[in-house]
Amino acid sequence: MKKFLIFLFVSSFIFGADAKLTIEKGGDARKSIAIIEANDSLGGSKGDTLYSILLADMKVSGHFLPSKEKIQGDFHSTVIPANLKSYQYILKYKLTTEAGLSLYVALYNASNGSAIFQKSYNMNSQSKYPFLAHKAISDINDALNLESIEWINRYVIFSRYTEPRKSEIVLADYTFNYQKTIIKGGLNLFPKWGDKDQKSFYYTSFSGKLPTLYRLNIYNGKKDAIATSAGMLVCSDVSKNGEKILATMAPEGQPDIYEIDVMSGAKKRITNFGGIDVGGRYVDDESRIVFVSNRLGYANIFKQSINGSSVVPVVNRGKNNNQCDAFGGKIVYASRETSSASSGNTFNLYLANSNGGNIYPLTASGENQYPRFSTNGKVVLFVKNSRDGSQIGYINLETKQSELFSLGGKKVQSIDW
Amino acid sequence: MKKNLILSITVLVLLGGCAQKAPNLSGNVSDATGFNGESVSTADGNGISSPNGAMIDGRYNSSSDGFQSIYFSFGAYNVESDMYSYIAKNAENIENIGGSQIKIEGNCDEFGTDEYNYALGLKRAKAVKEALVSKGISADKFVLVSLGESSPVCNEPTEICYSRNRRVDLRVSR
Repeated sequence: MKKFLIFLFVSSFIFGADAKLTIEKGGDARKSIAIIEANDSLGGSKGDTLYSILLADMKVSGHFLPSKEKIQGDFHSTVIPANLKSYQYILKYKLTTEAGLSLYVALYNASNGSAIFQKSYNMNSQSKYPFLAHKAISDINDALNLESIEWINRYVIFSRYTEPRKSEIVLADYTFNYQKTIIKGGLNLFPKWGDKDQKSFYYTSFSGKLPTLYRLNIYNGKKDAIATSAGMLVCSDVSKNGEKILATMAPEGQPDIYEIDVMSGAKKRITNFGGIDVGGRYVDDESRIVFVSNRLGYANIFKQSINGSSVVPVVNRGKNNNQCDAFGGKIVYASRETSSASSGNTFNLYLANSNGGNIYPLTASGENQYPRFSTNGKVVLFVKNSRDGSQIGYINLETKQSELFSLGGKKVQSIDW
Repeated sequence: MKKNLILSITVLVLLGGCAQKAPNLSGNVSDATGFNGESVSTADGNGISSPNGAMIDGRYNSSSDGFQSIYFSFGAYNVESDMYSYIAKNAENIENIGGSQIKIEGNCDEFGTDEYNYALGLKRAKAVKEALVSKGISADKFVLVSLGESSPVCNEPTEICYSRNRRVDLRVSR
């Protein structure tokens, strides 16, 4: 308590100074920033992990060039060490076990020591501490008027197989340092967030005779059965207002894409093809969808109006483009570039506009799958699979920086964020 | 709670009196919203029994109730000619079983990708159903489900193993 009051006093002094800050517009040049851990910050594995998360947040934002080594110092000192004046900014932080877990951060202009931002964060649940770091960095990012990186505060939800015919659905922060299994037992797959606030998600349960789509509120446990279908049933996309979903269903044993009104349960068949149509995603203000189909004899990305039957191919390269995601006027898709029946295949990711133009490769080797745009469309999440398990990668589409986080030995089945 | 409130007010009062040019300094208080909501944890389903698969009469089989699994080529969902005799045998078995519904489960190797792989498994199940219907079995007799790559009978990184996973299993629906 005493320390906190001292902290507040120092804060008022710092912020009372005549701060002069020059903010570079646009964020195209990364800001060099030295990270100073307070001498009395919580140590151990939690302290080490927090530091690595702060570092990862800065790198993946594409806006910062953090110092390479951890520096320690006095959190309350207003003196900028001479050897750090070459940086643009100084970030000081302190992690404590005050009231659960508290993180104090302060950002300074390195050249003149003026304070730019200062804030404390607290949570009761210590297991979710990675979110303290994410919130702090996204706030610092906002304080510098850089393009929002709000997506780092979001949950990632994914399913993974645990043994044949069994899986679990797991909630995580984007670095996977926080993980919580929220559904276990049985075969439950294809989690998909049901609303922009991430309060509920859809998933497919195989516990009954037929696949059933449920929506589960992760805070109160309320579970609603949305639809049942023979064959398969997957929620592929959710409309912006959450009132409609795109689902791959097969009531007659034929996988096609349907739009379901969540409130009324009314189903509208959008595609009608004797082969495979899956993975519908809303595009063009939800007036059209892009989806994966084998109607030309191989898996590829196609586009169709919600209310029409005319189908046009979107991508004109590759012979097995079997996954895609959409954001505004652009798509990201996975392409299988080898077809070995006896060993791992190469899957690469490509960015394109929703008409198939401006194709740009995002990966060059390995099994890169399940591409998902961030909520602002600036970053792509993907899964890099190998026989040893899965890694989750993030590619900043503007800076082309990427980060990989290990997910252990179990293979991801599906993922959303 | 009361302590936090006092601290928050103290922070606001102290900072409110500080003139400065730095951006976004409002709300410089303990920010717990969104952190402390605990998500639920639940169980859904006890799992479906996993087929082991066994070598019978020189062929692998992971179906039950007298049925024979049908195998497929890489990426394909057409019933190939070397499987016709097993389709005929399965049709006979259905006649012998009588009124029970038959579950047809489509499966894939691990090389496919999420939704597409499940659709591929479903197309395999549908192809087997249609082959059985062509033998005179009523289409109402069947329940189709795709298990995608979730139900492998073999996990070795060999072609023989992968080919055992590209299959359709049949069993009485219970």
